[in-house]
Amino acid sequence: METSTSTNMIWVLLQRFGFLLVFAAFFGLFAVWNPVFLQGGNLLNVIEGSAVLMIIALGMTLIVATGGIDLSVGIALDFGAAFAVVALKSYGMDWFGAACAGLIGGSIVGLFNAILVIGLRVSPFLATLSTFFIGSSVQRIFTNGGGPISHRRMPEEFRNLALGDIYGVPTEAVIATVLVVLYFLVLERSIWGRRIHAMGMQRSAAIVAGIRVNRILILCFIVASMTCAAGGLIAAANIRMFTPLSGFSYLLDAIAAVFVGAALHPRGRPNVLGTVAGVLFLGMVANGLNLMGLNFNTKDALQGIILVSALALAVAQQRARNPLVS
Amino acid sequence: MPINPVRHRRISEIIGYLPLIIFAGVLLYIGLSAPNFLTFRNLELIVMQSLPVVLVCAGLGVVVMAGGDDVVSGGIDLSIPATAVLSAGIIAVMLTQGWPLIVCGIVAFFACIIVGLLNAALVTRIGMTPLLTTLAMFVAVVGVNNVITSSRRINVDHPLIVALRAQDVLGIPLGIVVVVVVLAVIYFVTHQTRWGLHLQAAGGSRDAAEISGLPVRRLFGQSFVLAAFTGFICGFFVLARGSGSSPGVQDNLMLEMVLATFLGAAFSARRVVTMWGAVLGAVLVAAISIGFKSMGVNVFWTGLIKGSLIVVVVAFAALARRGR
Amino acid sequence: MSYQRAFSLQGVTKEFPGVRALDKASLDVEVGEVHGLVGENGAGKSTVVKVLAGVYQPDAGLVTIGGETLSPITPDTVHAAGVRFVHQELHLVPHFTVAESVFLGQERSGRLGLNTKAMREETEAFLHDMLGVDMPSSRLIRDLTTAERKLVQIARALIDEAAKVVVFDEPTAPLASDEIETVMSAIRRLTEQDIAILYVSHYLSEITDICDRVTVFRQGKTVGVFDTITDQSGRDLVYAMVGRDIADMFPVKGDRVAGPGLEVVGLSDGRAFANISLHVEKGEILGIAGLIGSGREELIDTIYGLRKAQTGTFQLEGEPLAIKSAAQAVDAGIVLVPRDRRHDGLVLPMTMAENVTLATLDQNTSLGLENRRVARERTEAQITALDIRPPDPDVVTRLLSGGNQQKVVLARWMVTSARVFIFDDPTVGVDVGAKSEIYQLIDDLSAGGACVIVSSSDPVELQGICDRIVIMMRGDIIGELQTEDLSVDELVSAITGARDIKNLTDAD
Repeated sequence: METSTSTNMIWVLLQRFGFLLVFAAFFGLFAVWNPVFLQGGNLLNVIEGSAVLMIIALGMTLIVATGGIDLSVGIALDFGAAFAVVALKSYGMDWFGAACAGLIGGSIVGLFNAILVIGLRVSPFLATLSTFFIGSSVQRIFTNGGGPISHRRMPEEFRNLALGDIYGVPTEAVIATVLVVLYFLVLERSIWGRRIHAMGMQRSAAIVAGIRVNRILILCFIVASMTCAAGGLIAAANIRMFTPLSGFSYLLDAIAAVFVGAALHPRGRPNVLGTVAGVLFLGMVANGLNLMGLNFNTKDALQGIILVSALALAVAQQRARNPLVS
Repeated sequence: MPINPVRHRRISEIIGYLPLIIFAGVLLYIGLSAPNFLTFRNLELIVMQSLPVVLVCAGLGVVVMAGGDDVVSGGIDLSIPATAVLSAGIIAVMLTQGWPLIVCGIVAFFACIIVGLLNAALVTRIGMTPLLTTLAMFVAVVGVNNVITSSRRINVDHPLIVALRAQDVLGIPLGIVVVVVVLAVIYFVTHQTRWGLHLQAAGGSRDAAEISGLPVRRLFGQSFVLAAFTGFICGFFVLARGSGSSPGVQDNLMLEMVLATFLGAAFSARRVVTMWGAVLGAVLVAAISIGFKSMGVNVFWTGLIKGSLIVVVVAFAALARRGR
Repeated sequence: MSYQRAFSLQGVTKEFPGVRALDKASLDVEVGEVHGLVGENGAGKSTVVKVLAGVYQPDAGLVTIGGETLSPITPDTVHAAGVRFVHQELHLVPHFTVAESVFLGQERSGRLGLNTKAMREETEAFLHDMLGVDMPSSRLIRDLTTAERKLVQIARALIDEAAKVVVFDEPTAPLASDEIETVMSAIRRLTEQDIAILYVSHYLSEITDICDRVTVFRQGKTVGVFDTITDQSGRDLVYAMVGRDIADMFPVKGDRVAGPGLEVVGLSDGRAFANISLHVEKGEILGIAGLIGSGREELIDTIYGLRKAQTGTFQLEGEPLAIKSAAQAVDAGIVLVPRDRRHDGLVLPMTMAENVTLATLDQNTSLGLENRRVARERTEAQITALDIRPPDPDVVTRLLSGGNQQKVVLARWMVTSARVFIFDDPTVGVDVGAKSEIYQLIDDLSAGGACVIVSSSDPVELQGICDRIVIMMRGDIIGELQTEDLSVDELVSAITGARDIKNLTDAD
């Protein structure tokens, strides 16, 4: 019996802290493999490199919290970038006007989703999938096949959205952090957040409780897509151009980050802090694998495998902790 | 207030077929605008073009059958296209290294089945939602395939693979014959066997299946393995259609698979995902793509057209349900 | 024919945390008889059925089937002993054919896959010979009427011809009144096959109609066995079911404030009911009675804005009112305690405090951020006021008992300034103790000047708590009864349409 209790202990420990242990194990592995990983500059790189994904993942967290899923986050990002670059280049707007144009461009995507989901009663999965198809096609038509729109003489202020710094901290990290704090307050501490979570968990009960679910859902879709558009502004500022269809690459990572985060929550809710942990984990793995000097394909494959394992572990851990939830 | 249930039902049945009617209308319009569209040769081309999507759709149809048609929590397997591409990649790489096709096929078969088993284990043992599991699996499998193929295009000119595209049997292309046989086998297994009925019961009404003492979770897991098998077969057709393995095929295949399967559901008056609906959906989507191309519509528009199609068809389906 | 014992339960006890669901209960059923089992909600009927099914293991007592004591009692041994169940819920796969449904899990195999032909023929023969109906076995379940689905369920239980005991659990609950006879005549035919039938039902009119003998349960105990059943037995059965303390369950009415309350005029939804008008005064408790399919549930949903109304107007305290959504209803001070509290009443994964404050978030906020301290204090006040257990605001509501879950739903509305409370089957799945507490709370609300509507499938409850009852049938209000001097039997016969309401009121 002696051995079985000790293996039980290990099992319990793994279930409790499994994900944390894996996080630490990877951290240790990368640090040992290449000491550069631990240098302050590199860790800042991880955070800076995760900023756009962080912003997209926040938008995704909001939609998943309402009980849906958003496959069109990439489109909102592309629209944000496109509207801003065109505003700067063709209409000669200043950086602020361009940023606003980008946000409005992104909100069109959210509005479209909201119309499909609420007006036409298409499920969020299929609605945002159509938005993805349509949005991609619109970009191809607009750019005549998908060529980038570059804007070499981008105003310095706009470029600073990505490349500047505020008291030494990169602007994009600052923007991401501010958004994280705002999202945390709204989703986890405010009365709106409570309503959003209630409708996401049990829509019919939320309706009976007198919550105006449709109104909330419309707002959530618009806010989420504006958030993604903000990510698009940074992406555009970073490379001084709008690259059509570039948002798609964030989709799977954003979904993964949100669900890893939800699994880390004691009651399995999608939540802002969990999403932050998920994004940082993905960012760390990408950065660490890069520093290992692996070839691109191997790195990609490893990242995919780590993603599956991390999700499985996080879900298993949550089940073990709370077998009664769902 | 008198409500005439018979008339009411008849109207809703007509509304029920509206998506299909819309679709037929679009095809007819294309046929009239592009005179070559409705020729036998062109229709054959359309069917040939849709074969890989048809196969993965059949696989997805089985998973939906076993897990219910709720997109997020029910049965869905987005990883089938990745499995197909993995199958194609393994076969292509091994063929260039000089292995006989049969050996390549066996290795690819086991690789695909392993993917299916992993999906099954993650969903039924660990309790992850199928959508999330198979999406993550998609990423992982594509990653592994890129390592195997080094993200290169690999030409394949093995006579059997070429025959799938170019050979005719009694005037019908071999590829079509093979796919029809595969579909017939899957149909037999899922509709004419005890196992198939249990699988359908598990997805159709979980409560009914459990009351009848069926192992619901195991059946659901097995459906992922069968889906992975369709991915394996699809690998050959991916090779045949593209004359080899090339990176990036999976993205389009996945989108088309989802599009076709859920369009298929909207086509049926009852709005349920069925294998035949999915197959019909796949062929019709190919028809629309090729049709607009032959009308001279710029390819940039295809995404817009497909997206709008989902919206129109699914929204009509929702409206019809509300009207019932 | 000499009776022989088909099965018996002797001294069966089953305890759950806090509740003794069965307390030395016994039950004897003989071959060739239809044996009724009656009792109130929570009397232990469903526990007996689950013990017999092998789902629950009894803490004490013997289960004997066909003269042999069963041990262990598992679903498999029970099945092997020839016990079959026809469950209350119509668990059937909608897109399966009749034959596929009947043989699900017990298919006939042929040389090549399934022997569909044999299954089809056997199904049709069985339905014809045993149940006396002709039904093409290739029809799909979703195209069948509810009664036909019930027959399919019965065929499913009996097709292997190994059944010795068949348990019918509320077989007519989902049926419309004109469908009931189809199922009843099928059951009557079965008794000719030397099968013992245990018939569990709420509906006393059916029990007196079909049963040869009846066992009555109350609070987990066997309180009576009736060996002869006539049409006049109903009164005695009710007395045995409820016991002497029926009056104690319900609060004594005190003085009331009066005044105009909610008035509904000409409400139709275009399907389930048409042109319904009703009114509730302040301080009055209005009951709505009606069988399933009478439109009662749909009416409640429409008044609360969950379903679209085609025509109809509302007035509250003389002021006209528009209700197009539940949110509007809540804003106007109309609140609903829904029948399906696990689905519609509570957000189960949320805590008690989160659920209690869900409708009053605006009041516990500073700058949009939730003031958790205020929310907690309010919840704790409600926990004390309603005696919710466990008294922990942070407990997840999924883990609470039915009665306490219902109190949490009620607590949420108590903290609002609601003027109209609608209760839809408020005590389903609630044990007897909590039931009486909930009745007291409902009465307190009404005494405080609120308008109360209680829609219920339980005639005893309606008679006990309401001042006035309207009765619905097929989407229409067919009459209205004052509960003073009204007996439960009279109410039941009015609800089931067995007696014309005019005669009833004339007789009084």
